[in-house]
Amino acid sequence: MLSALDIFLQQLVNGLTIGMIYALIALGYTLVYGIVQLINFAHGEIFMVGAYLGLLACLTLKGLFLGSGGAVLLLILVFFFAMSGTALLALLIERFAYRPLRNAPRLAPLITAIGVSFLLQNAVMLFFGPSDKSFPGLIPVTKVQLGVVSVTNLQILIAVVSVLLMVILHFYVKNTKTGKAMRALADDRQAASLVGIHVNRVVAMAFLLGSALAGAGGVMFGMYYNTINFHDGYLAGLKAFTAAVLGGIGNIPGAMVGGVLMGVLESLGAGYISSEWKNVFAFFILIVILLFRPSGILGERVVKKV
Amino acid sequence: MKQTAGYFFPIILLSVLVYAGCGGSSSTQVIKIGCVAPLTGDQAQLGIDTCRGVKLAVDQANQKGEIFPGYHLEVLSLDDQHNPAQAVNVAKRFVADLDTLGVIGHFNSSCSKPASAIYHQARMVQITATSTNPELSRQGFDTFFRVAATDDVQGPRGAHYALRHLKANRIFIIDDKTTYGKGLADEFEKEARAQGMEILGHEGITQGDKDFSSLLTKIKPLNPDLIYFGGIFPEGALLLRQARGLNISATFMGGDGLANPLLVELATSPIAEGTYATMVGGDMHAVPTAAPFIRDYEAQYGPIGQWSAYGYDAANILIQAVRRAGTKDRQTVLRALRESRPFQGVTGEVVFDPKGDNQNQFIGVFQVQNGKIVYIGPAE
Repeated sequence: MLSALDIFLQQLVNGLTIGMIYALIALGYTLVYGIVQLINFAHGEIFMVGAYLGLLACLTLKGLFLGSGGAVLLLILVFFFAMSGTALLALLIERFAYRPLRNAPRLAPLITAIGVSFLLQNAVMLFFGPSDKSFPGLIPVTKVQLGVVSVTNLQILIAVVSVLLMVILHFYVKNTKTGKAMRALADDRQAASLVGIHVNRVVAMAFLLGSALAGAGGVMFGMYYNTINFHDGYLAGLKAFTAAVLGGIGNIPGAMVGGVLMGVLESLGAGYISSEWKNVFAFFILIVILLFRPSGILGERVVKKV
Repeated sequence: MKQTAGYFFPIILLSVLVYAGCGGSSSTQVIKIGCVAPLTGDQAQLGIDTCRGVKLAVDQANQKGEIFPGYHLEVLSLDDQHNPAQAVNVAKRFVADLDTLGVIGHFNSSCSKPASAIYHQARMVQITATSTNPELSRQGFDTFFRVAATDDVQGPRGAHYALRHLKANRIFIIDDKTTYGKGLADEFEKEARAQGMEILGHEGITQGDKDFSSLLTKIKPLNPDLIYFGGIFPEGALLLRQARGLNISATFMGGDGLANPLLVELATSPIAEGTYATMVGGDMHAVPTAAPFIRDYEAQYGPIGQWSAYGYDAANILIQAVRRAGTKDRQTVLRALRESRPFQGVTGEVVFDPKGDNQNQFIGVFQVQNGKIVYIGPAE
């Protein structure tokens, strides 16, 4: 028989898994916002496109890797294909939809982002069809018993890949030249360009990194839930955006904390209060936190201009 | 964009019609039969199946010649995206199109409900082939008819079946909070309680959501014999997968929303095995009188869908009423349909009661066996 503590731990595991995916998407919102102060509402759709690209890669490559040793290689290739696909897509979107509006009033790129989001949704619907698609199981799912809590190898994979990607991103932004340029741009775009930083290139890099993470998130989302739909980017994107705000938008560790927190709170809310109020619960927490800490848990990283 | 177009289109259409009327064209004039269902989105296949049934009925009627001298039939299919707000827009568009004498639809109960008021106001016949929520016919609209059986029959018969044949006593109920899903689950619960079954809980989920593991983790220690789901297959498939992933072995049962081959595809074959679904009707392939319909349908569109025969029957009932009316007038068609006469359809005999419901309410039970949804008998 399961004790109350076991159930709590199981709920925690459920929440952590989806929280990791939220965190990956939230990083994309936060990276872009930190640098160009644009809330990229098409980001949820990029995540969804990532899931579909993963599906496409699975279907085309699956025949080539039937042996058990091929599974790992297939997995890596699927991730690679989805991440590079979404990165490329983001570069195109940035170049043709956002860059021309770089110096326009802030509302213009925001509305463009919503337009891009509709465009992507409908493009995927036309190309892949409107009904749910079954996402093939890339790895045989096995259960690992940690005490009484059952964790699947898939959940462990999601956690490991997410943490790995977040750590890489963290060091990239902290230690590389482009990373430093990103932080310089976030501090003061004009001053950064005066000291010779290639603004367009660095902004494009932020879009690229964020979208590659969303692409990886999309593949894991597909693997975890096994069905994907062109609508999936909307709610996941909205929750990830909330997570980014929760952690403090523009703040990279904040997005990670916000995402994981969002997943866990949602899961506990659905488990202990009512699953009917699952989404309400997530957004309610956001309101409460913003009432007391308007700049998020870890604070906005955007320097206020005087 | 689409919604704005929805308002402008009837105006343009009307002005075109006025001109066409003045022209006095020599060929036969058109009478339209509307078909409305989700034609895009995750339930698109269900809607397309229904409207293809309607199209087949209309094509066959046209092949026999003019419906009455000087007139031929056409189908106008519109998409309500299983969105109640969009359903209202579509209903207004049908009403504004003077060629449309009646509508087959809507597909979803949540769409049929708001739209039915608009058809009632316009004195236009609405025959839903598929909406099963009992509230729809209790609104007192004489323009409302339905072919499908209702959830206040489907839910209780499901409960009886669960108790008598599946020996299920401890039940957890989940619904998707839609008019259909909640209505069906509530009716199931009412009867299950009356039969003395133990209801461990009844919770809602959100359509379009993907993660139900929190709810299922809560259900697991309750150890139910059976989980009843009032909802549609996309969420049903996810619930099944996630329940089995958490080692919940309870029998899974639902209504007609689950009886779809896509359930098996999305939940994958070994996991979906053994799932029960009640359905407002039996196995079309087992009904001898349905054979010509199945042959004609499959020659045109491939395998029949879950609701194809219902769309076909609903359309034929409307066509018959138009023929009896013998004039292009909504009120007369309505009166012709109100003179209730038994109709021999492929889904069985259809007789409307004063509320517009089909008196012949047959509920069948289906089960997923070897990856196929198989008819196993009437639900009693």
